[in-house]
Amino acid sequence: MDKDEIRRRVVKVVCRVLNVTEDMVQPQSHFVFDLGAESTQSIELLAAFEGEFDIEMDEDAALGVQTVDDAVEFISRYVR
Amino acid sequence: MSVTTRMKSTHEKPARPPHPLERLFAPRSIAVVGVTPTPGTVPYDIFSNILAGGFRGKVFPVAPGKRAICGVPACRYVLDIEEPVDLAVIVFPADVVDRALEQCGRKGIKSAIVISAGFREIGSAGRERERRLKDLSAQYGISLIGPNCLGVINPDPAVRLNASFARGMPHAGRIAFLSQSGALCTAVLDYAWDKEIGFSKFASFGNMAGVTETDLLEYLHQDDRTDVILLYLEELRNVRRLVDVARRITRGKDSKPVLAIKAGRTPQGADAAASHTGSLAGEDALVDAAFREAGIVRVESVEELFNAAVLCAYQPMPAGNRLAIVTNAGGPGVMATDAAVRAGLAMPRLAEPTRARLKAVLPAAANTANPVDVIGDAHADRYTAALEAVLEDPQVDQVLVILTPQSMTDVEAIARAVCQTHEKAAKPIACAFMGATDVAPGVRILQHARIPHYILPEWACQAMAFVQQVLGWRRRPWEEPQRLPVDAEAARVLLEGSPGGYLAEDRALEVLAAYGLPVPPCRLCTSAAEAAAFAHQIGYPVVLRVVSPEIVHKSEVKGVALDLADAGALRRAYDEMLAGVAARRPDAAIRGVLVRRMIPPGHEVILGGKRDAEFGPVLMFGLGGIYVELFQDVTFALAPVGRTGALEMMRRVRAFRLLEGLRGAPAADVAGIADCLARVGQLVADFDRVAELDVNPLIAGPASAGNVVADARIRLSQRQPSRAGAAEGP
Repeated sequence: MDKDEIRRRVVKVVCRVLNVTEDMVQPQSHFVFDLGAESTQSIELLAAFEGEFDIEMDEDAALGVQTVDDAVEFISRYVR
Repeated sequence: MSVTTRMKSTHEKPARPPHPLERLFAPRSIAVVGVTPTPGTVPYDIFSNILAGGFRGKVFPVAPGKRAICGVPACRYVLDIEEPVDLAVIVFPADVVDRALEQCGRKGIKSAIVISAGFREIGSAGRERERRLKDLSAQYGISLIGPNCLGVINPDPAVRLNASFARGMPHAGRIAFLSQSGALCTAVLDYAWDKEIGFSKFASFGNMAGVTETDLLEYLHQDDRTDVILLYLEELRNVRRLVDVARRITRGKDSKPVLAIKAGRTPQGADAAASHTGSLAGEDALVDAAFREAGIVRVESVEELFNAAVLCAYQPMPAGNRLAIVTNAGGPGVMATDAAVRAGLAMPRLAEPTRARLKAVLPAAANTANPVDVIGDAHADRYTAALEAVLEDPQVDQVLVILTPQSMTDVEAIARAVCQTHEKAAKPIACAFMGATDVAPGVRILQHARIPHYILPEWACQAMAFVQQVLGWRRRPWEEPQRLPVDAEAARVLLEGSPGGYLAEDRALEVLAAYGLPVPPCRLCTSAAEAAAFAHQIGYPVVLRVVSPEIVHKSEVKGVALDLADAGALRRAYDEMLAGVAARRPDAAIRGVLVRRMIPPGHEVILGGKRDAEFGPVLMFGLGGIYVELFQDVTFALAPVGRTGALEMMRRVRAFRLLEGLRGAPAADVAGIADCLARVGQLVADFDRVAELDVNPLIAGPASAGNVVADARIRLSQRQPSRAGAAEGP
């Protein structure tokens, strides 16, 4: 799966979980500062990524996933 | 003067330009940055509290991805707000607060409150985040409260700001409360609500990354709506500035009482200080010293804080400490009398005209002394008559009204009678309606009328004692400590030439001599012959003391020989001493033996100084021996103190009377000791490198003989030499 596909699916998940529109989501968008994620939603996001990509993300490492780009980079290491 | 009159007079002051912190407490518009739509979360509750509190200005929620919060249209970023914003309340998680603050800066917002936790208090990662906030505040000129705070409340009806996550808006009043603990604030607000205690300003200031408690004190000093300032502190930083600002607030024409709780006792430093001063100068003693010099009244609990505050805020200041008690119960009257006397209040005998007037209106069985006992079946009329009479007695400065609820006691009527009498009174009145349930209706009436009420008369007396502290401070003359003429240059040369660690005794004595302390003639000798020659010159008996940079406690290595009556004894002692010290401390480099005259006996006193990281140069005084070892009867002050301050210090030790002469013993040269103490303080203040200093003991002889330094230690820090301008000299 290439990064473009990962990005497309990450954005889809983000819009669904955070209830925002695609035009609000940029590569550098910070889940909290730009997209309004509350603390419970941040956890939901990670779970949603795991479900979307059928992966299991290391909890401590996942704490560093704060932007769309972070998520794409992180997920791309799990998905070959 | 009634509360109403006092409030009116403050409102008639001429207008002045707004203080830089005014927009923190009275913004015209607020952006709440990082709001969420979920009730029960801090971001949501803060926003909804602002709305529910009835804030008079405009509120803009900044909530990315949300159209509105609580029906108020939301912006994605603070930069999207088209109108000017006076105050930003930032409630984002800690790791994005800097982004929010930076946008606030770009928008031109000059006041901000950061509620979020996750900064200095969590460790190094948080400290780095907090440093970033400090940098941004400085870059954009933002007055920043927090982070990690409860928020700010201004109950002024013209503002009605509750920018906090405390429940509800407190009553408006004239008391300001500043707290370093957010959690305590909520408890205080609940406590105050029940007692109808009103606030002018209420702030939890958190980590103080920007605005400090001292900045807030300066603001409240000029705040016309604040009469009393209360502080809860857990740490002190920049103590000297706090003392200076507080002193300006607590003295002078428009002085305001400042009462404070300072909680938490820091552990002693890891390095056990070798000096008495270092080991005795724990932070709490220094807090007492600092508060004493600032005119801040220190209390131990929230109860004490507000017990005193309501007296200060709601009643005129008494002219003195004379108390009259009006009671319907003899027992509580006696207990109150005991409490009053213990609290330092006077219980004067009432003037004869007052007693005659009381006898005319009270039953024959009533007691017209002080306390005035109106008897258990008293109704409101008897209370009114007694209260009016004692208020007009020229020997009475304040009145305590005690009520116990008998079956015939109309608690509410008596409360109303007290309120009516209070309206016409120029002297302060406090009440102790003892009990809980039966007295509650009357207590409510008193609280509503802002008449201080206490469940127990002892608490009233304790509160009155705190008020006396406020008055005593205002009346106490204060002046800047005067510099004493010293040879600061000579001391500077000696200190600059010495490495860090303990100065050799001879050098320490030279430094003290340069600062005018009475150092006896002495010489560092490197042979028994030299020692004997010097002893012959100054006269026997003499004392030998080994001098080595490695030996601080000479007695422990038998490095002191006392009362040597002739040359033979001297030579034997010299040889034995050096041999013994070499055996016990083979590592020590012996520079020689200090020879001086044996000092005649007298009172041993300790003069100590140290440089504290937070408090700066501090000074200690105590009588030596068991007074310091066992009783720790010592006192501290921030140096320099001057002679007047030194004498005040000395008078605070319990054993001071010994110096004044007790049971026929001659008085010591008290003024001379004060002069020495002032010089030690000046030395510690002048030279940053003096980390610790002990003159222990200064032998205080009779006034005719004077005082002599018998032993001294000075420890220098490893830092660079003294600060510029310190060595001023005469």
